[in-house]
Amino acid sequence: MGTRFVGKKVNKVDARQKVTGEAKYTEDLVNDFADLLHIRVLRAPHPHAYLREINVEPAREVAGVVEVFTAADFPELTEFGLIIKDQPVLVGIDQKMRYLGDALALVVAETDAAALRGRDRIELEIEELEVVDNPLRSMEQDCIQIHEDHEIEVTHYLDPEMCCDNILSDNYLDKADVKKGFAEADLIVEREYQTQFVEQLPLQVEKGIADYDEESEEIIIWAASQWLHDTQADIAQAMGVTKDKIRIKQPVIGGAFGKKEDISVHIHLALAARELKRPVQLIYNREESMIAQSKRHPQIIRHKTGVSSEGKLTAWQTEMIMDTGAYASSGPAVVRNAMFHCTGPYQAPNVRAACYAVYTNNTYCGAMRGFGATQMAFAYDSQMDVIARELGMDPADFRMRNAYQPGSTTPGGEKLELGVNVRETIAEARRLSSWREGDNNA
Amino acid sequence: MEITFTINNEKRSLEVSPHQRLLDIIRKDLGLTAAKEGCGKGECGACTVLFNGEPVASCLVLAPQADGAEILTVEGLISREGELHPLQQAFLDTGAVQCGFCIPGSIMTGYRLLQDNPEPKREEVRQALAGNICRCTGYQKIVDAVQLAASRMQSGGDSSWAQDL
Amino acid sequence: MENSRRNASGRPKASGSDFEAEQENIQELGREVPVGSADYLAPKSLKKALEYRSRYGYKAVVIAGGTDIMVDYFERLSEVSSWLDLTKIQDLKEIKFGPEKIRLGSMVTHRKLATDSRIRENLPLLAESASEVGAWQIQSRGTLGGNIVTSSPAGDALAPLLAYQARFILGSVSGQREVAAEDFFTGPKENVMTQEELLIEVVIPTPREGTLSRWKKVGKRKAMIISSLTMALLLELDDKDEITAARAAYGAVAPRPIRATELEVYLTGRKLTEISAGKAGELAAQEISPITDIRGTVDFRCQVTRDITEQALLGFQQE
Ligand SMILES: Cc1cc2nc3c(=O)[nH]c(=O)nc-3n(C[C@H](O)[C@H](O)[C@H](O)COP(=O)(O)OP(=O)(O)OC[C@H]3O[C@@H](n4cnc5c(N)ncnc54)[C@H](O)[C@@H]3O)c2cc1C
Ligand code: FES
Ligand code: FES
Repeated sequence: MGTRFVGKKVNKVDARQKVTGEAKYTEDLVNDFADLLHIRVLRAPHPHAYLREINVEPAREVAGVVEVFTAADFPELTEFGLIIKDQPVLVGIDQKMRYLGDALALVVAETDAAALRGRDRIELEIEELEVVDNPLRSMEQDCIQIHEDHEIEVTHYLDPEMCCDNILSDNYLDKADVKKGFAEADLIVEREYQTQFVEQLPLQVEKGIADYDEESEEIIIWAASQWLHDTQADIAQAMGVTKDKIRIKQPVIGGAFGKKEDISVHIHLALAARELKRPVQLIYNREESMIAQSKRHPQIIRHKTGVSSEGKLTAWQTEMIMDTGAYASSGPAVVRNAMFHCTGPYQAPNVRAACYAVYTNNTYCGAMRGFGATQMAFAYDSQMDVIARELGMDPADFRMRNAYQPGSTTPGGEKLELGVNVRETIAEARRLSSWREGDNNA
Repeated sequence: MEITFTINNEKRSLEVSPHQRLLDIIRKDLGLTAAKEGCGKGECGACTVLFNGEPVASCLVLAPQADGAEILTVEGLISREGELHPLQQAFLDTGAVQCGFCIPGSIMTGYRLLQDNPEPKREEVRQALAGNICRCTGYQKIVDAVQLAASRMQSGGDSSWAQDL
Repeated sequence: MENSRRNASGRPKASGSDFEAEQENIQELGREVPVGSADYLAPKSLKKALEYRSRYGYKAVVIAGGTDIMVDYFERLSEVSSWLDLTKIQDLKEIKFGPEKIRLGSMVTHRKLATDSRIRENLPLLAESASEVGAWQIQSRGTLGGNIVTSSPAGDALAPLLAYQARFILGSVSGQREVAAEDFFTGPKENVMTQEELLIEVVIPTPREGTLSRWKKVGKRKAMIISSLTMALLLELDDKDEITAARAAYGAVAPRPIRATELEVYLTGRKLTEISAGKAGELAAQEISPITDIRGTVDFRCQVTRDITEQALLGFQQE
């Protein structure tokens, strides 16, 4: 066992179909359905507003439009989400739209052009609210609350005064005694780092097809998902049906990189297929995918680091504020993952960290390669460079002096025993890049 | 309106409307689904086909403009016996295929490059394929694949890749 | 809290040809636009095309390579009542080399400009700029005429055309007129062409032998990128190395492609070796009037204009 493939080049099992064009991605299945209806989603015209009125009659009058659905058609719907259920399937009357991707209506038509025409004719009355596009604004006392109808539990561990109206989750860690660590330091460096939104941009955007089996009352969905069973469960709970009524058939996926962890086309497809008892398709375009689906979280990271004159870290304190956008998605997990990576692969004996995931009216953020650790890496390695420069040390030497070794403990208190190769990695990087020892300006 | 064109060496007549794009008729009307839509705006190259011998973004060609054209897609590269074109084989062998969404487009541009330049340098391959985005970022291996195919085609097409690499 | 009523499609209308504005224009002029039955017109002759153009005006959207207009009408092709496709007109795809003039048909593609050996030799600024338009797929279809008529300040062909003192031949059923490249562009995506006209040809005085030129495109990526700025610099020298004519054109640094005339005055009449490249860069940076947008800030554009101008002149001096 094990020797058949180890050390050998092995083709991916589906690579042949991918070079011949035979591999079937979701959109390649549309020809298999006769009578396929097309859905277009009307999205929020404003990032923060109450929906006061919606008139879909003009859309119904468009030739080719079969049906227009709004939240009023599905009183049983509940909210959905990967970790916290805070995202509406359709925004109802007197409910809030919280970002430009929120869905207000589904237009189903015989052709895509008719669905688009119908969508453009829907009339809305909205009440505009303050748009919060910055997490620092979100944390101010007088800031409007974005999820006033959702219970939010914040621990107030560090700051009992803090306004927590828009905080999705707060996370803290303490390792040993950071105060003592700073007292021991010869140099303390404080810096703030900021990262931006990043679009995962899988080459295939969100697309799906659904069909309804009247006899078994099953809804069959062909669409990409990175969490097949979670997606199934979430669709079922949002629609108020049991899981066995939702079948997902996963076609070949054209990339995801975290973006397809969240529900996109799925529930809208399921509703339309069930109501109309006909196969339906919903195909986002690139703009829609960018507006409606997740991003990498932008983070504001403040590091305060204490170091001895010999270049040993004595204390590391991190405060991080993460813009999670309008909905939670993977935010509560990403913020924790980022926090536990606050010192990177460097051993700091005393650590304190406080990290917040904060709601705004930006497009919601979710998973993307690295899951929070990537943003932190930018900040801690920049911080290491700054400290090395202030100490007058070679940045590679400085890293080497503080790198994890077997026996080191992480900020979370985990003891690292096996596979700790940081020092080897630094040495190898140094060799490959011909980095000269002691050269600070290279 | 009816148009006539040749696709993958087959002459076809088709009723099309000026509301369609070349990509739509290839994928829907002809059922040739290798070419993909990644953006619909000429940016990504997933919809690349050869149009009168040149790589084009088929999402930017109006369907009636295909009247009289000669079109080649990945489906047209496979021999009648079902044998892969050396370029397809090379994409397999170098591990250039990940999610695969960009691959039919990249192969078509690569195919056209090898007609002009049977022994392209790495930089030349990169230049030619600049319009084919691979978000799985398998560029090194895609370039490897084009060069491997080039060398095999030069030497008469031995496809035992283990030796070539 | 304000209440606002709005139509769901907050989407902008077609931008490329400013369809709406043009529609209003038509009404203002009180011109009757007969609604034809044909929704796709693909004449083989220029004459026929001009007839259609006069009959349909803006009702028929002109399409050449489609790489601009198809993007403008993404997902809204069904809103186009009629197309006037120029791709079947062979005459417009021709290139004619004369001793005095080089004539380029409006339907010549970027790919053709980039690969034609005589263009590369005689009009290197145009060949090089064409080779950097989008990527191969875009160059195969995109045309010189389309780039000109789109009249984006960032259009890559525009600075070279200004540097070459190109003239554009506009045709209509009632005849032809010739407009200097410099007078053609009136603002971002605006030009002097009317709804009855088509761009037929670009006429460029054949550059003298020994003309020096430099093309530079600056963008956020190396391919598939709309330029942050472009430069086409051209010097004619006599046998004593004295600059007898200088033309410095820049794109994406003003509402339309411009020539840096102060810089040209400074260069003309001087010996190449006596030029201060640094001063030339300063002059260029002073003459542009860029804006800050997603492709670069005002400061970035000024600094880069200065640097690439300076580098280009240093390059000439070393040759
Ligand atoms: C992915 C991508 C990348 C691009 N990159 C670049 C780039 O790097 N640099 C750059 O400059 N451009 C770029 N472009 C824009 C475009 O490719 C060029 O402007 C191209 O030259 C347009 O030519 P076309 O023939 O495709 O024009 P079309 O789209 O066919 O037409 C453009 C406009 O001109 C009108 N028109 C065309 N020909 C005539 C004529 N003869 N008479 C009257 N009206 C006419 C049309 O009605 C339309 O309004 C890019 C486009 C895409 C999609
Ligand atoms: S789909 Fe045509 S280039 Fe992206
Ligand atoms: S293989 Fe996934 S985009 Fe290239």
